[in-house]
Amino acid sequence: MMAESVTRKTGMARLLELAFIKKGLSISACVLSVTSVAVSFAPFIAIYYIIRELVAHYADLSALDAEMMRGLGWLAAGSAISAILLNWAALLCSHAAAFTTIYELKLDFTRRVAALPLGFHTANATGKLRKVVDENIEKLEGFIAHQLPDLAGSAAMPLIALVILFVFDWRLGLACFVPLLGSYLIQSVAFGSKASQTFLKKYQDSLDDMNNAAVEYVRGISVVKAFNQTIFSFRKFHESIKAYGSFVMDYTMSFGGYMTAFMVIIHHVFVFLLPVIILLAGRENGYARFALSALFYIIFSFSLVAPFTKLIYVSGTGRQIADGAERMDRLLETPPLPEPAAPKTTGEYSVTFDRVTFYYEGEASPQDWKTNDSEFSNPPRGSAPNTPPAMDGGVANALGGVLPLAKLQTQESAGTRILASALSNVSFTAKQGEITALVGPSGGGKSTIAHLIPRFYDVAEGAISIGGVDIRNMANDYLMSLVSFVFQDVFLFKQSVADSILVGDKNASREQVIAAAKAAQCHEFIEKLPQGYDTIIGAKNAHLSGGERQRIVIARAILKNTPILVLDEATAFADPENERQIQIAFEGLMKNKTVIIIAHRLSTVRGADKIVVMDKGAVAETGRHDELVAAGGRYSRMWEQYSAALDWSLTKKDGANKEAAHV
Amino acid sequence: MYKLLGLDDAGCKALNRATFACVVSNITLLMSFGVTLQIITVLLRPLMSGGALDTPLLWKLFAAAVVVMLLYALAYRDEYRKTYLASYRESEKIRLELAEHIRRLPLSFFNHKDLSELTTNMMADCTTIEHTMSHVIPILAANLITITLASIALAFYDWRMAAALFAVLPLAAGVVLVPKGIQAKWGKRVARRKLDVAERTQEYLEGIKVVKAFGLSGEKFAAYTEAVKGLMKDAFRFELITGVFVVSASMILQVGIGLVTFVGVTLLSAGTIDPVKMLFFVLISSKIYGPVIIILTMLAELFFWLISIRRMQALREEPVMEGDENAELENYHIELRNVTFAYNEREVIKDMTLTIPQNGVTALVGPSGSGKTTLSRLIARFWDPREGEILIGGKNIRGIDPETLMRYMSFVFQDVVLFNDTVMNNIRIGKKDASDDAVRAAAKMARCDEFVISMPQGYNTLIGENGCTLSGGERQRISIARALLKNAPIVLLDEATASLDPENEGEIQAAISELVAGRTVIVIAHRLRTVFGADKIAVLENGRLVEEGTGEALLAKGGLFARLYQIQQESLGWSVKGKKR
Repeated sequence: MMAESVTRKTGMARLLELAFIKKGLSISACVLSVTSVAVSFAPFIAIYYIIRELVAHYADLSALDAEMMRGLGWLAAGSAISAILLNWAALLCSHAAAFTTIYELKLDFTRRVAALPLGFHTANATGKLRKVVDENIEKLEGFIAHQLPDLAGSAAMPLIALVILFVFDWRLGLACFVPLLGSYLIQSVAFGSKASQTFLKKYQDSLDDMNNAAVEYVRGISVVKAFNQTIFSFRKFHESIKAYGSFVMDYTMSFGGYMTAFMVIIHHVFVFLLPVIILLAGRENGYARFALSALFYIIFSFSLVAPFTKLIYVSGTGRQIADGAERMDRLLETPPLPEPAAPKTTGEYSVTFDRVTFYYEGEASPQDWKTNDSEFSNPPRGSAPNTPPAMDGGVANALGGVLPLAKLQTQESAGTRILASALSNVSFTAKQGEITALVGPSGGGKSTIAHLIPRFYDVAEGAISIGGVDIRNMANDYLMSLVSFVFQDVFLFKQSVADSILVGDKNASREQVIAAAKAAQCHEFIEKLPQGYDTIIGAKNAHLSGGERQRIVIARAILKNTPILVLDEATAFADPENERQIQIAFEGLMKNKTVIIIAHRLSTVRGADKIVVMDKGAVAETGRHDELVAAGGRYSRMWEQYSAALDWSLTKKDGANKEAAHV
Repeated sequence: MYKLLGLDDAGCKALNRATFACVVSNITLLMSFGVTLQIITVLLRPLMSGGALDTPLLWKLFAAAVVVMLLYALAYRDEYRKTYLASYRESEKIRLELAEHIRRLPLSFFNHKDLSELTTNMMADCTTIEHTMSHVIPILAANLITITLASIALAFYDWRMAAALFAVLPLAAGVVLVPKGIQAKWGKRVARRKLDVAERTQEYLEGIKVVKAFGLSGEKFAAYTEAVKGLMKDAFRFELITGVFVVSASMILQVGIGLVTFVGVTLLSAGTIDPVKMLFFVLISSKIYGPVIIILTMLAELFFWLISIRRMQALREEPVMEGDENAELENYHIELRNVTFAYNEREVIKDMTLTIPQNGVTALVGPSGSGKTTLSRLIARFWDPREGEILIGGKNIRGIDPETLMRYMSFVFQDVVLFNDTVMNNIRIGKKDASDDAVRAAAKMARCDEFVISMPQGYNTLIGENGCTLSGGERQRISIARALLKNAPIVLLDEATASLDPENEGEIQAAISELVAGRTVIVIAHRLRTVFGADKIAVLENGRLVEEGTGEALLAKGGLFARLYQIQQESLGWSVKGKKR
């Protein structure tokens, strides 16, 4: 398996491996392509015989074997047609191979990616994964469908040509062969050299730079306009366009000499042939035979132009496609979470963190700032196309630090800092049927805790257990049946509202769905949708606000009815009415469950059974609201700040008292 | 055609030159072919009409061949340079022009387009144009010209053989060009399938947490498989169908070799043709169909390239916002008169009349979707209202150049856009010529200083793409620092402190207090408490102004504001209920 093999192939070797996944089809394509190349020489041979016949009977044209000549004419046409047909057959095979291969690769990739830990999906923006499917895998099509048969043809061609060349007169054959060899060498120097490979890499980079600059430019346009700074980001984009332009020019021009030499030679093989012909002609006894051989070689040299020209285009492009395959393979290197051999179950639903230490891969140690100067760079969160901006608080934020697999990022952003949001030696128990709240500054580790319970990641040290059973000893499906989580990133499939809720329990009746919807404060707005519960979400006139979507997700969790709940309180879509209704929905959801809630607003958790105050990845304090406030520690300071912030108001006074400061 | 590609005069000239260079190199190739034919005749003469081989003539022909070869080398070098130069220069120019054009487009344009799609299309379309110019147009034009010239010459040489040579051409051309409708239909179908797969992939990957959490992998994966399979089948059919036409055309053309021989032999038997002529045509027939088929396929493909070229054209023709660039505002009193605005069909602001006093805080409040954000963006002329007018200092902003108008405004929005640059430069966006000290002063006022200096390189620390290494609160404060640096008299504030942790919230509040001091402030408030003391609160619902007044007055009135305020007090007081309570 790719994911496990340490010595997985890369580059061209890997590309060929992928190309021959559909062995039968790919081999047929190659064989047909080679045959087509061989047959494509036939018309020239037929023409040679026509001319020979003509020359032989020149003196008396009436002796001309007209039938044979016509036959040869049709043979030439027929073989030309056959070459085309064979080539087409080769292409059909290669396309069939290509399409089925990329079909399988896509499914395989998606299936395997789906099997990876959830943490993988938090770290890898959907856009990036989609790019693998849409672009990198898709590009293999071109390689398998077009370049593979061409490659086979052009590899076989010199051999075929060689045989034919040396059949008639080896001296003339050699005279033809030398320039051909020269052109072969030229193309391998041009495209095969280290220098040109690095050049190609640079070319790719400058293209990427330009595209990135374009994305940043367009994305930032509103800000840039707002600050009259179009020139600021414009300059960057401008520079990258210029850089790409001049680079591509240099790049292309660097091949100018080679291309010219190649094209000149390939079109003028006869020029190399001629002096040899002239020199040999005087010494030959049977001139007639020699002249006809010479004629053959001249005609034959024409036939080399087309296949050889193809050759020069084959060499350049494989590399880029191989890079894409590499990207796919690297993503698949992440091992899936191990499933226990003998899964255990539990009948008790307290969640216990026992001296849990966890850090995101690529991080030296928790609790420090790290200057990023290696390939362990930070995934570009902002580039996730579907991350709503409002998500910048809570979850996204706390996870915005070093993420697992971060090293997969190809972009290097030297000198960026990385927020350590890991856990060190965290112990606490969320008792069955109680509400445990996690509070603390962003980056303190709240979200990490929340993500570890449904096993987005596995802990580095210590253990998380439910009812005394280590979650790593539970089957994944079983764990999922115990835990529901409602986080800020609300995702709904494009399906009916009822089906969206039914996701929680496929076998639920319509009545149960409605009951769940009512408990989650959704019923009212669902009824107002064009087709009520059967409205397809996202369809015309069926746009749901963020708060409404959040409530549907809550309804789903209510239907799923698991004993353990992991919640993120943040109501990112702060609209007073929605917010209130989400709170009511939460109340319905939390009844009689083991609840672990990430709280952003301290007032929310005053009534919690236990408050765990997180700071810099460690537990700072634990206790109930009153106890913690009385203790006068970290929590009580936070509570003070919170209360002050709550009372803050923009006032007219604010607007006037600093008038002097403003010119 | 040139116009379609969006070329200016210089571009047309460059392309013409490139085409000319192509023609020249094609002609040198024809010349070298002519020399070859001469050589063949000389070589065969002793066999046909007796006598010795004319070696001196052959040497002369060799010399001629070398000269032609060198000419071709020059011509090809020239062609190579000119076609690529022309296309890269042009596409660079087009990219730059687009970049320039885009920045002048109204922001409404960026609202209804998917930005990443827009960008990708833009870049991909440029590449297509580049390709069309370097690999298609010059070659196509040059081949057309040379083939036409050659066939005319051939027709004069011997019209019967020329007729045999080209007899099949109309048929072949018909086979390639006529069914382009079918190809286009299938092309569209494949494009649709691709889109479908892209959507399914996106949905599947995005929903993976849900899929895993609820054990849906089976059914969701089935839908995905279906989409991918559909694409596979259609893409193969498309390949097959388009292939059929080109392949048939090529095959039809090759019949010409047989025809030429057939006619030649017949004429030869009748004694009405010189054998050398016949030989000549037979040789030509082996070479000429290659370029012809290239022309035909290129013509067919040109059709598809036009799609992206047209898309590009549409972008370039998108209207930009105009206005007086030298307009000056005398005061900052803002007045909306019967303003109506709609995104496409949906009316978002309906007949709104509102005054926003100078040097005061005006809050816009209301449920989500009530039009608060749109209204604030209208004041900044991100869009122009459909009806009614917006006046600042008595001037209709419709007549003011958007960039000029922007000079009077600062923004702090919820979605903070940061650039992959240093902290210093990210703040400096507020005022490009600000000194480092000024930037630092603004950062201090915005409560950024503390967290910035704790970063490895302080103000020179690079923040990642879109500032992904910073927390939401930190980003917000950087954007406040920008606004402070800009020091514009009007401040638009989309207050977004709702989901931040308390420590951050206090800092941001302090930063905002600095920012609003002595300015005309329009604030979109989510927490009503925050704006309770504002000079004026405008309450919006469904795009209409339903109430306005001070906090006290509105609360006393018992309308929407009072209700929302009440609800919010409740939710602020809400707490989870543990069992020990």
